[in-house]
Amino acid sequence: MSNNKAVLFGKLSEAVVNMDEQETVILSNEVIREELDAYDAIDQGLSHGMERAGKLYEEEEYFIPELLMCSDAMYSGINILKPHIKREGLGEKHKVVIGVVEGDTHDIGKNLVKIMLETAGFDIIDLGRDIPPQDFVNKAKETGASIIALSTLMTTTMEGMAEVIHILKRENIRDRFKVIIGGGPISQSFADKIEADGYSVNAADAVRLARRLTVSVPVAVGV
Amino acid sequence: MSIISPKERLLRVLNKESIDRPPVICPGGMMNAAVVEIMNTTGHTLPEAHHNDRLMSELSKDVQEHTGFENFGIPFCMTVEAEVLGSSIDFGTLACEPKIKKEVFPSVSEVRVENISKLLHSGRIDTIVQTGYHLSEKFPDVPVIGNLTGPISTAASIVDPMTFLKELRKDQSNAHKLLEYVSDFLVEYAKLLIDNGATLISIGDPTATGEILGPKMFEEYAVKYLNKILDGIHALKAPVIVHICGNMNTVWNLMPGIRTDALSTDALVNLKLLKESFPSLITMGNLSTYLLEFGTPEKVALQTEKLLADGIDIISPACGLSTSSSLKNIQALTGTVKEQ
Repeated sequence: MSNNKAVLFGKLSEAVVNMDEQETVILSNEVIREELDAYDAIDQGLSHGMERAGKLYEEEEYFIPELLMCSDAMYSGINILKPHIKREGLGEKHKVVIGVVEGDTHDIGKNLVKIMLETAGFDIIDLGRDIPPQDFVNKAKETGASIIALSTLMTTTMEGMAEVIHILKRENIRDRFKVIIGGGPISQSFADKIEADGYSVNAADAVRLARRLTVSVPVAVGV
Repeated sequence: MSIISPKERLLRVLNKESIDRPPVICPGGMMNAAVVEIMNTTGHTLPEAHHNDRLMSELSKDVQEHTGFENFGIPFCMTVEAEVLGSSIDFGTLACEPKIKKEVFPSVSEVRVENISKLLHSGRIDTIVQTGYHLSEKFPDVPVIGNLTGPISTAASIVDPMTFLKELRKDQSNAHKLLEYVSDFLVEYAKLLIDNGATLISIGDPTATGEILGPKMFEEYAVKYLNKILDGIHALKAPVIVHICGNMNTVWNLMPGIRTDALSTDALVNLKLLKESFPSLITMGNLSTYLLEFGTPEKVALQTEKLLADGIDIISPACGLSTSSSLKNIQALTGTVKEQ
């Protein structure tokens, strides 16, 4: 049985890397027919494939069109498997509030980070693009998020990131959230300057950063 | 002391003729220098000037005068094409440039093709054409740069960009159809600008970056359709500049295949190396916009001197300027070049 599981999960992973949406659907249905664990199939099959895709992206073998197609393949499989996940003993996920700061509508990078963080087991609340600083804070408070992730591609809008941190300090809740930032004009030195908790250079790096920052942080239960 | 006019200097560089020193320009469109400091001083402001040719002319003149850049650049956004093609636009504020509110088509397979002559009489095209005409007549020594949004970026402004990028692989036939349509339109728009006084065209295609597309998609789409437009503009006997954002390492060897007169790149690109690798390429760039906003005049001047020493053909900012960039910093850039 376990050999069959390994083979099937391996094929799921491969189908994601191969951007094959039809194949992930077929294989996911097979997982259900074989009564294998749906969560494991996602974790060790689909997500595993997406992580490999992320690595190919870091290595400049895959680019945005390819990565987006891999994620489509992954999500097609997830949509089939999700209703079959056994709920008990899964543990809470860390929540991340993510968005593009006010004044900016470039959201491809943010969307990639969202996909990779979801793949890695975070629960993502995506505010979208052109988001006022206060909205990030409000949503983080409302959802008990662990991380606020801010993205911008424009030099003009970088100040919005500093404003989010400023608001957190003003409301005396700076320590409740980790603030991570990324985007074209962003750098570690800018992150240090505005006292953010971290900067990541790309979506795959964002996963490493988010994991590092939440490894010893308890998941907030309710508000 | 120079007797070459700014227009002549820029045209000579683009034609590979000898000149006294590099021109220093800020092309307009996605890379314009209508900073808040200027608009607050002169009272010719955005977003009003996006829609009014008199105001747009006055703002162009203000920018050229206050910054020291040796050109006029119109329009002051990247949304003119998307607007006439059907997307809804948020026209922004004083400090914030216009943006796409909602792309009109959900997929490349659902693009509704319009008659191009009809498109050319819609939206703000006439405003921009008129502005170019006024400026070219009133200030014949200063080059008027008419800005186009490049084909990939325009396509991604009328089809949801995430879907569009996937469809470059998933639905190649319709992706090509869309880009043909967009390119045909852009050539006709360029023609209108040139016929009405634009000295040259600058195409900004940020979505066409190698960082997003990778070499395969870059060659299949970006190079192909940029060249289609470039050939169309060259047939009108006008020179062209192409600006592509981001890191171009993955498409390095494809760059000389772009039939542009000058290639403008982002701060990440080693322009000196680019020039050495492809000596026939006219290079333009690439002073960091981060430096222009957060740096000091001294640092800006130093970096400008480096660009001059590297032999960069046209000096310009690396990409879109922050609207809160200080005039002192911008003047340090232009002043240093002119002192040469």
